[in-house]
Order: sequence, then C-alpha cells, then structure tokens
Amino acid sequence: MEDLGRIHQLIVPFMGRDLTFNLDVIVMTWIAIAAMLVFGFLASRNRSRLPGPFQVLGELFVSQLYALTEDALDQERGKAYRPLICALFMFLLFCNWMGLFPHMHEPTKDLNTPLSLGLMGFVIAHYAGIKQKGFKEYAKAYFQPIFFMAPLNIIGELSKVISISFRLFGNIMGGSIIVLVVSHLVFSLVLPPFLNAFFVIFIGAIQAFVFTMLTLVYISVQVN
Amino acid sequence: MAIEGIDLIKAASFLGAGLAMGLGAIGPGVGEGMVGAKACEAIGKNPGEAGLLTRTMLVGQAVSESTGIYSLVIALLLLFVV
Amino acid sequence: MLNDIESWVKVAAFAGAGLSMGLGAIGAAIGEGFAAAKANDAIARSPDSSGDIFKLMLVGQAVAETAAIFALVIGVILLFSNFSAAAPISVAALLGAGICMGFGAMGSGVGSGFPAGEACEGVSRQPAVKGNLTTNMLIGSAVSQTPAIFAMVVSFMLMFINYSGAPLHPTSAALLGAGFATGLAAIGSGLGSGLAAGASCQGSARQPLTSANVTIIMLVGQAVAQTPSIFGLLISFVLMFKSYAPSETLAASIALVSAGLCIGFGGIGPGVGNGMTAQSAVGWVARNVRQEAVLMRTMLVGQAVSQSTAIYAMVIALALIFLI
Repeated sequence: MEDLGRIHQLIVPFMGRDLTFNLDVIVMTWIAIAAMLVFGFLASRNRSRLPGPFQVLGELFVSQLYALTEDALDQERGKAYRPLICALFMFLLFCNWMGLFPHMHEPTKDLNTPLSLGLMGFVIAHYAGIKQKGFKEYAKAYFQPIFFMAPLNIIGELSKVISISFRLFGNIMGGSIIVLVVSHLVFSLVLPPFLNAFFVIFIGAIQAFVFTMLTLVYISVQVN
Repeated sequence: MAIEGIDLIKAASFLGAGLAMGLGAIGPGVGEGMVGAKACEAIGKNPGEAGLLTRTMLVGQAVSESTGIYSLVIALLLLFVV
Repeated sequence: MLNDIESWVKVAAFAGAGLSMGLGAIGAAIGEGFAAAKANDAIARSPDSSGDIFKLMLVGQAVAETAAIFALVIGVILLFSNFSAAAPISVAALLGAGICMGFGAMGSGVGSGFPAGEACEGVSRQPAVKGNLTTNMLIGSAVSQTPAIFAMVVSFMLMFINYSGAPLHPTSAALLGAGFATGLAAIGSGLGSGLAAGASCQGSARQPLTSANVTIIMLVGQAVAQTPSIFGLLISFVLMFKSYAPSETLAASIALVSAGLCIGFGGIGPGVGNGMTAQSAVGWVARNVRQEAVLMRTMLVGQAVSQSTAIYAMVIALALIFLI
C-alpha cells in the first residue's frame, strides 16, 4: 500500500533543464523487449512440419494478426503494415501481463509508454494518408464540411491520440490499483488470484487488442 | 474560509469545466453506442459488406463524437484560459 | 447552530445511511420488477413450466438484489458504528461513502434484472435448456454486479481510513469527490453490462447450440463496458490517496469535487452506450455464429470509440486534480 504511486526517477540536468527518466519503466520495457526476442527466437528455431509449442503460438499470433491487417487494409497495403501491427500487439501483451510477476510493473502503467505508442500510431497513420492521397487531397479533408471547421477537425484528430493512450493507461493503472487495494483489504486471502486473472490477464489482453485494432483502424481511415 | 471575487470566479470555472465535460459526455457516449449496436446488427445480417459497414460506423461515430470534443474544448478553455 | 463535531459526524453518518439505502433501492426495485414482469409473461405463454419459471425468477431476483444488499450493509454500518475518531473531516468521508454506495447500486440493480427476465422468458421458449440458461444468467448478473462492488470498496475505504492527519479543506472536498466519481460512474457500467447479459440469455435460449460462443462474447463486451467504472475508481483512488497542501480557497475545494462529478457523469453515457453495442453484438452472434470473429472485432472497435468521451472526462478530471 505504501508503494502506491511511488516511482523511481533519475533526474539529469541537461542544458539548463531537468531530464526525468522513470527507471522502473525503462527497465521493465527492456525486459518486455527481451522476452519478445526470446519468444521470437524459440518460435523460429528448429521449425518443422510437426511444430513445437512455441512455434504453434508464434504461428497463431502471426497468422491471425496478418489476416486481420489484410482484412482492414487490402492485400497489397496490408503487406507493408502487418509486421508493425503484429509487433505492436505482442509488445503490448507482454507489457500488460508483466504485472503478474511479483516485483514487476507493467510499463503501460506509466502514461509515457501508451502516449508514445499512440503518437507513433498517429504519425504513421498520417504519413500513410499523405503518401496515399497526396498532400493536397489529405489537407482537403480538414476543410470538410465548411472551411471554418478546420480547427475543430484538427482538435478532433489530435484527441484521438489522447483517447487511445489514456484508454490503455487508465485500464492498466486502474486494474493494478484495484488488485493492490483489494488484496490489501482482504489480507491477501483467496481473492488475489481471481483478481489477477480478471484485471491483468483478461483486461490486459482485451486492451492490447483494442489498442492494436484502433491503430489499424486509424491507418485504414487515412488510407481509404 | 475567506471567499473573494477572483476565488469565486475560479471556483465557478472549475465547476463549470467538470460539469461541461461530465454531462457533455453522456450524449455522445450513448449515441456512439447506438451506432455500434446498429453496425453489429447490420454485419450480422449482411456479413459480406463488413468492411464498408465498419467504415461507415467509424465515420458516424466520429461525427457524433464532435459534440463531445466541443465539451472537451470548452472544459479546457474554462480550466486554462478563464 | 450546533458547533460540536460529534453531532455533525452523527448527522453525516445518518444522512449517508439514508442516501445509501434510499438511492440504492431504486435500481434493484426496477430490475426485480422487470424480472417479475417477464416471468408473468413467460408463465402466460407456457403455463406447463410455471414451476421452473417461478424458481428461476426467484433465483434471478435474489442475484439482482445483491446491489441493494450492499447498500443495506453500508447503511447499517453508517447507522450503528461508533465513529470514535470524530475529526471534522469524517463528515465529508461518511457523506461520500453513503453517496458512493447509493448511486453505485443503482445501475447494477437495474442491469442484473435484465438477464433474470430474459432467462425466464427463455425457459418458456425452450424448457429443455433450463440448466444452461441458469448458468448463463448467474454468470451475467454476477459480472454486472462488479461496478456495485467497486462502489462498496470505495465506501468501505472512505469509512475506515483515518484521515484525521490530513488538512481539512481540500481533503474533505476530495473525499466527497471520490464518492461521486465511483458512485455515478458505476450507474452506466452496471446498466450496460446488464443489457449485454440480458441479450446473452435471450440468445442462448433461441439458439442453444451457440451458448458457449454467446457467453464468451458477453464476457468480453461486459469487461469493456465496465471500463468507465474502472476510470471512476481510478479517479477515486487518486483523490483519496493524494496528499494535499492545506488551502483555504474555495477554488481548490471545488476543483476536487468537480473532478469527481466530471468522471462520474462522464462515465454514465459511455457505459450505457457500450452496453447497447454489446447487447446487439451478443444477439447477432447467437443468430449468425459463423460471423463471430468479425462481430467481436466490430463490437470492440465500436465500444472503444464510444468510450473516448469517458476518456476525455478522465483527462479533465486528472487536469483538475493535478494541474490546478
């Protein structure tokens, strides 16, 4: 309970400003990346016609997410974006499930991680839109239905970044606080495994999927 | 508790910001949910057009969300400009 | 005017008890009435299985009553506990606890009436799947109670955490805001989860073979529909555990109360809307089970987009707490 909201920070003075590093989050993000690399290595090593457990899992992820991407974009464009979508989903899943292990935190519990992933999706979607339609056609969309709606259209576009990143942050942060507080209230008897199963495994998987789907949808809205 | 003019104005603008965003979120939330419900129904009836229906749903939701974004803008103005 | 703190704390405890039970009874009464109406309908349609329907109605109503019983528990504790640490801040904490549980029981009460009613009607249609329907109804209405459980947790914490060391002025407003945040946000999520659960009972009665698929999509839809109440809970915890600098200004207090009101009201609409989307998706999975994957995907995207207004409300609430 005492750790609620406490963050280990490293503050480095740089050019007259303070740069703040959230050490926990950085370490946990690297652990997630390392776990992904190990998983990728195990899944792609010794590939055979009779697949081992890791190969089955890897093929399941990849084929499902590739099919999803090609469904939302079309076959040709889907090819360019499907590694991104697949990597995004697996990274978020590893991050969200990290809270299951003692002394580990979800990197997505810190607003910086979802916000940077959301900004990444935003930039990619708009880059794809400009590349597809040309800058003039792309810019024209902001002056619909009348020209003076432009500021509100731009705010509407920017607020997508806020909504996608705060959705992930709020769910994971809320879930982890509920698990912590309720476990504390019942003296860690009986309830914690069920709470973890619901809030970490179930909600974590759903939110990772929702984040990935929305990134994909934003790209497809810009492209089509 | 000492209440002065500027304090009262600040308090009123904070309350206004909270209520603007809070009450302003009800309508778009229900409305977009109805759009989603009808889109699911239409896909259930006619799965062949799922891509088109999903796109139409997203455009409809984006339009009905604009009132929610107006509330957000007003709330931010009340918080940081007034 | 009474000036001793002891009596003001008593006043707050009694008022909180009244609000808790009074507001908390609304939802369960409506929900149980819905179940009874549907049961009568069902018995009129197939009088032969009236015994089964009657039993199912009683079980469903008993589950729908859970939220009101939570409110009763909080009310009784507020009435009969002796709050010995009678600091002035307890006034806000006890009032907040009552408000939180009262509003929080509303949505879940109405919501868990829907699966009970639909299950009764389902038995009149397909008496053979009674066991399946009962399980489905129990799962659905138990999950619909989650927002009410969140409200109960917040009420307990408001009643039993000792705040006497905290500065009176912003903190008392923060505790009141914490009550509003979870309580109001639970209304929409409870109602929405109930809509999804009702549709799943109806669906598995019409198409008993799809029962497993229907239950899965119902659980996913309910979990997403409960996100607004999780946001409310998050804001409540932030309001309860942040330490405040003492401040005598009105603005600092009002900002914290309105943060609670903002996410509270802001969670109602998206909760109901998400529930409606889930309801339709669940219903159509039952009718057209081959399109389960595409329906689930559309439902998730639709719900996620309609949640964004709740997220804007959460952003404004966080800004009111941290930036002001």
